[in-house]
Amino acid sequence: MRMIYLIAQLEYMENIKTKGFWIGILIFPLMFGLMYFIQVTLSQATPTRYYLLVDKSGEYEEAVQSAITLEHQRKILQSFVTYLMENRKETDLNLLNSTTAANSAADQFIDDVDMNEVAALDQWLTNGGLDFALIMASPYLKKDTPPFIPPTPQFIAAELPQIDLTADDAGIIRQLRPYLRGNATVEINGNSETLFALILIPENANQDIMRPGDLADPSLTRAGIQYWAKNLTDLSLPNAIGRSINRAIQDVEVNRLGIDSQSVRNAQRTRMPLSKLDPSANAGEEEVSLADTFRQFAPMGFVYLMFISLMQNVQYLLSNTIEEKSNRIIEVLLASVTSDELMMGKLLGIGLSGLTTIAAWLLSFYLFLTFYQSSGTENISQILDVILSSDLIPWFVFYYFAGYALYSGIFLAIGSLCDTLKEAQALMMPMMMIQIIPMAMMFFVVQDPNNSLVRALSWFPLFTPYLMMNRAAADPPMIDLIGTTVVLLASIVFILWLSGKVFKLGVLRTGQPPKLLELFKLLRAKN
Amino acid sequence: MSEPVLSLHNIHKRYGDFTAVRDVSFTIPQGTIYGLLGPNGAGKTTTIRMILEIIKPSSGSISILGRPSALDVRDRIGYLPEEKGLYKKMKVWSTIAYFATLKGIDKKSAKRKAFELLEKYGLRDFAQSKIESLSKGMAQKVQVLSAVAHEPELVILDEPFSGLDPVNQGVLEELIRDMSANGQTIIFSTHVMQHAERLCDHILLISKGEKIFDGTLAQAKATIPRRVLLNTSDNLEPLKALAGVTDISNADPLIPDSRWIVQISEQANPQDLLKKCFDVGINLNRFEFSEPSLHDVFVQLVGEDAREQQLR
Repeated sequence: MRMIYLIAQLEYMENIKTKGFWIGILIFPLMFGLMYFIQVTLSQATPTRYYLLVDKSGEYEEAVQSAITLEHQRKILQSFVTYLMENRKETDLNLLNSTTAANSAADQFIDDVDMNEVAALDQWLTNGGLDFALIMASPYLKKDTPPFIPPTPQFIAAELPQIDLTADDAGIIRQLRPYLRGNATVEINGNSETLFALILIPENANQDIMRPGDLADPSLTRAGIQYWAKNLTDLSLPNAIGRSINRAIQDVEVNRLGIDSQSVRNAQRTRMPLSKLDPSANAGEEEVSLADTFRQFAPMGFVYLMFISLMQNVQYLLSNTIEEKSNRIIEVLLASVTSDELMMGKLLGIGLSGLTTIAAWLLSFYLFLTFYQSSGTENISQILDVILSSDLIPWFVFYYFAGYALYSGIFLAIGSLCDTLKEAQALMMPMMMIQIIPMAMMFFVVQDPNNSLVRALSWFPLFTPYLMMNRAAADPPMIDLIGTTVVLLASIVFILWLSGKVFKLGVLRTGQPPKLLELFKLLRAKN
Repeated sequence: MSEPVLSLHNIHKRYGDFTAVRDVSFTIPQGTIYGLLGPNGAGKTTTIRMILEIIKPSSGSISILGRPSALDVRDRIGYLPEEKGLYKKMKVWSTIAYFATLKGIDKKSAKRKAFELLEKYGLRDFAQSKIESLSKGMAQKVQVLSAVAHEPELVILDEPFSGLDPVNQGVLEELIRDMSANGQTIIFSTHVMQHAERLCDHILLISKGEKIFDGTLAQAKATIPRRVLLNTSDNLEPLKALAGVTDISNADPLIPDSRWIVQISEQANPQDLLKKCFDVGINLNRFEFSEPSLHDVFVQLVGEDAREQQLR
């Protein structure tokens, strides 16, 4: 035991002295912070897109323009709600949290947006939009609140360049092609800007309208509206245009069929709330809250954390073993300690440094939430509260250690057989691939945790820590729970025993790593 | 004489079809400096690893410090492996202290001992340096010190001199003599015969996994004939008749008939040979009689094998 302790202590101290360890510790908070800020910045700074609308049918231009204006108003509304929530006086916040719900105009407003955005948007526009909202909200804002900066419009119509509009569709496209390709620019308020997209509505576009009951005629190709853009990944503009034109067409259709369009609108806005209930909860607490939903999804976070941390540790273990082997420290050590003591010492020492890394990550996460508070982080800290108060932590601790013991045993054996990291990488590959499988299944497992395929795969020891952690929030059947744990623990014992033998054999070997059959023979031969 | 520190009986080591060590037996009495000599791939390192029970012999038995396994007495053994390596990021003193604690010394004494050794062998100024900042030779000295800091009864050094400059080779020889004077038993392997010749009481020569010679230095030298080197252009035919002269051959085939080796028997007196030369009027440019060196012994005994340098 003394030897294991000494080696573990040395490994730990040596590990935390390396640059890699500190990079590992810093990378997670840095990445997290960076991702958070990039996301916040990106959502605020969506680039303005300039588009051209050529409506040869002359029927839809207005509909498209109004749809885009409406979309912009919706953005203003959303960002105004966030602004209001962030800058509201504290007293109102308390009122909102109490069960007597909203009793101020500001709360009423926020609630409305929360409940039914479409209706709230209508209301917003009828009342006079942002100007009215600012007056309405002013009594509820804190004293030194910064002025509200509305988001910039995302889509702006460009002026049509001087072209021959009497040409056919192909002719128009030919004339506008330089603009679409970025070789020519369009004028926007005197500035020249790159054209993002061209929407061309052909003269006889209405012929392409599809109605229920139309026979699918393969000879007739319905091209409909043409959307020309180099960027085909940003779908917000084509979607908005498709929606608005379809709504216009539907309105015409409603009129054609002799129905009052307002009634249709009203009918579409009719809705029935849906309460989500959890049968496993106590009476009176069955209603599924947002927190419960978080709890269902939280295992994904744990699985991910486990994966990252295990990867980091076992890789370190591997390179450390190879280094020690290649510079022959191993032989001196083996004259002083047995290979089993050496292996256990290494596993412990490096495992502890892995735990240190996780602890540092969680600490930095906690500090981030404590010192940087906004409506965004408020959500995160709520999630964190939910996770900490749930029973997921003990699961995580158990599966983390189990996973570590299992994988580190294997990687240590691999490391002991190789002289260089390059050799090791070839042997590591299958182990990495195996871990990709539960990672790829992560989202699917959370949605259907007790699916029979998932249940079956959970019994495979290399998957057990990941999959069972993934399923932890969904009360897996007792048979799975106990069965997989027994198989897992038995495999750990077996793997560590086998790794011990391979380690002993491997550390003093030089040259090519043995083939699987050779390895088997060597193990059988008992050195 | 006290009981032997180490004895091997009919040790074999096989790796599959390949036999690395074949039927090796020897005994090392306490307090000796024992040289383990042999060409590359002779099985020296394998033998040492078996002594330390890092690997197990395929057959045969070992008795070390009165026990059947080195694991029982590992705190009483010090070992320097052939290929040297240390933790690069560690400080010099803590490296020595760490290996001493692995041998059961408490941390405080280990630290004190580390500084004591560094002082004594000229590394005091580097005590706080990291291993990676040392030259290869210095790092090797540090490793030797870490192998012996716990004052083991049996010290096993595999190629301790390789990579050291002549001054530090001297320092290491001094260390070995100090330990020997302290009653410690030292086994070391080497290619450099001069070190073995200067230090060893006893040598063991192995080649191709088999023991070729085991005995004192004097006994080793007695295994090859005594030789006189002559440089002359005269005919040496008359010398053949002299009693005690067993053979005359060209010393350097490239310059025939000018340099000669005259082998003489154990009892023959070189003076007689010199006298005979004068008597028959052989004009000598050189007459040299010297005891055979260990180098000659080595080349004589394993020369052919060593050329075939079998790896492993």
